[in-house]
Amino acid sequence: MNTKSLEKTPWPTVLSFLLPGFIGFILFVFFPMLSTFLISFTNYSGGPNWKIVGIDNYLTIAKDKHFLQSLVVTVKFVLIGVSLQIIMGLLFAMLLNRNILGQTFFRSLFFMPNVLSSVGISLAFSLIFHPTKGVANQILEYFGLPDSPWLTDPSTALLSIIMVVLWMSFGYYMIIFLGGLQSINSSLYEAADIDGANGVQKFFRVTLPMLSPTMFFALTMCIINSFKVFDQIFMMTGGTDGGGPAGSTNVVVYDIYQNSFRNFRFGYASAESLILLIIILVITVIQFNNQKKWVTYDI
Amino acid sequence: MTSRFKIGNLISSVIIFLTSLAVLLPIYIIVTAAFKNEVDIFDRPIAILTENSGLFNFKQLEMFPLYIWNSIKVTFFCTVIQLGTASTGAYAFSKLKWKGRDSIFLLYLMSMMIPIQVIIIPQFMIIRSFGLYDTHLALIMVASFTVFGTFLIKQFFMTIPDSLLESARIDGAHEWLIYWKIVMPLAKTVLATVLIFSFRWFWNEFFSALIYLTSPELKTLPLGMTDFVTEYMVYYGPQMAAAMISIIPVMILFISLQRFFIQGITSSGIKG
Repeated sequence: MNTKSLEKTPWPTVLSFLLPGFIGFILFVFFPMLSTFLISFTNYSGGPNWKIVGIDNYLTIAKDKHFLQSLVVTVKFVLIGVSLQIIMGLLFAMLLNRNILGQTFFRSLFFMPNVLSSVGISLAFSLIFHPTKGVANQILEYFGLPDSPWLTDPSTALLSIIMVVLWMSFGYYMIIFLGGLQSINSSLYEAADIDGANGVQKFFRVTLPMLSPTMFFALTMCIINSFKVFDQIFMMTGGTDGGGPAGSTNVVVYDIYQNSFRNFRFGYASAESLILLIIILVITVIQFNNQKKWVTYDI
Repeated sequence: MTSRFKIGNLISSVIIFLTSLAVLLPIYIIVTAAFKNEVDIFDRPIAILTENSGLFNFKQLEMFPLYIWNSIKVTFFCTVIQLGTASTGAYAFSKLKWKGRDSIFLLYLMSMMIPIQVIIIPQFMIIRSFGLYDTHLALIMVASFTVFGTFLIKQFFMTIPDSLLESARIDGAHEWLIYWKIVMPLAKTVLATVLIFSFRWFWNEFFSALIYLTSPELKTLPLGMTDFVTEYMVYYGPQMAAAMISIIPVMILFISLQRFFIQGITSSGIKG
């Protein structure tokens, strides 16, 4: 009976299932990916006159202070944003993993911003963060604190964007961590209780190690997602500023967009794209290689 | 011991309460400011209604019925197509045996880490060469597949025992018949999850619309909302009215079908 299951499916059948989605993938992701690589060695700008320029784009990038700033902004954004999202996600997962009144309600409430339109939400936060009369400043004034310029000053613009992203997505990581917490065997906590462990010890010796596969997944997703943030930046500090006051929110994806569709420097933008992709790839590979050191898949 | 326990409970209740306020505030601002005039929006932001409240902000959104219709159209086609391609793809990746299956699936998964901006120039050139620039078909074409959806459905298909399919195969049933009559009816929940995720994604999708659409009469709702960003004079009332239109349908969908959302995320996380 099992002999037939070992046989390979005939190719026409396989292709009839695979191709409907696979054609789109090849045409709009895989092939463009290869093309980006090739275009990055040209000075293509959309017109008929272009030539191969070798690694010129990469040499320009290496000396370009604008791109360097964009990289620094991205690194700041990813480091601060990922830390806050993961910490808040884990904190609220732990708070709502206990039997408290309205547990389900609060889980849904905290997750809800994640499903809403980032464009619509950005409009709302532009109003809330209004530099003179916004609600955020009215709250600060109520507590006797000085006003903040929020999105309009280089020193606070990026943090304001991070707050919006955090508002939208900490609930997503909370749900992921809740799934992880619920899969931890309760006998481990009972054993820790018998050994007289306190809450802090239980967190570091039982919860965190047992949660490490979930943490690995959440971290990987969060880093990748953070590199992709675009809508909020476009809506709140894009506009005529182009990447915020003094370029302070000009993350690399936004810079790529500007160079592609506002400056038409396709070759240069492709080189930027490739550098960004290599950075993301290296981080992901390092994460996967390091997981053996801290991720527990036992039990 | 008990007093410390109580203090801990109190602190966590306060944290949960304050965070709830922070989560609700922007939504509250959108929904109330949509009915206020410009003065009241700033002077009385917390009031639910003022004596000046009315529907005037919505009346200014002349183009929005069209934007909403465009969004419904694009979202409908993208969602239906994604559901089809994701389920057949998932079947090929989980229930059929062929050379290179796992490496191609890995390639699929790896593509999730590519920001769209990285591939947008060549993708744009391809769409333009097809003569699809400034059409809704462009948005539908580039969204004709979903790696996330394929992954989610594949995870579910793998839990269906092969023995169930074997007996049908021995009876000479074609794979398409097995897919349609045996596997798909079992997968209703995961299909609903993918449907909802796709719907949410396309209702909110912004970047492709920004790149591929220029004609005002083709704009989708998220792209339509950028009308405000480029203007010199910023009126917040109409903006909040537009934001309200964009978030209310998804909020209703979420409140009524939240278990699918939660399920989709949890099942993608645990196995991940």
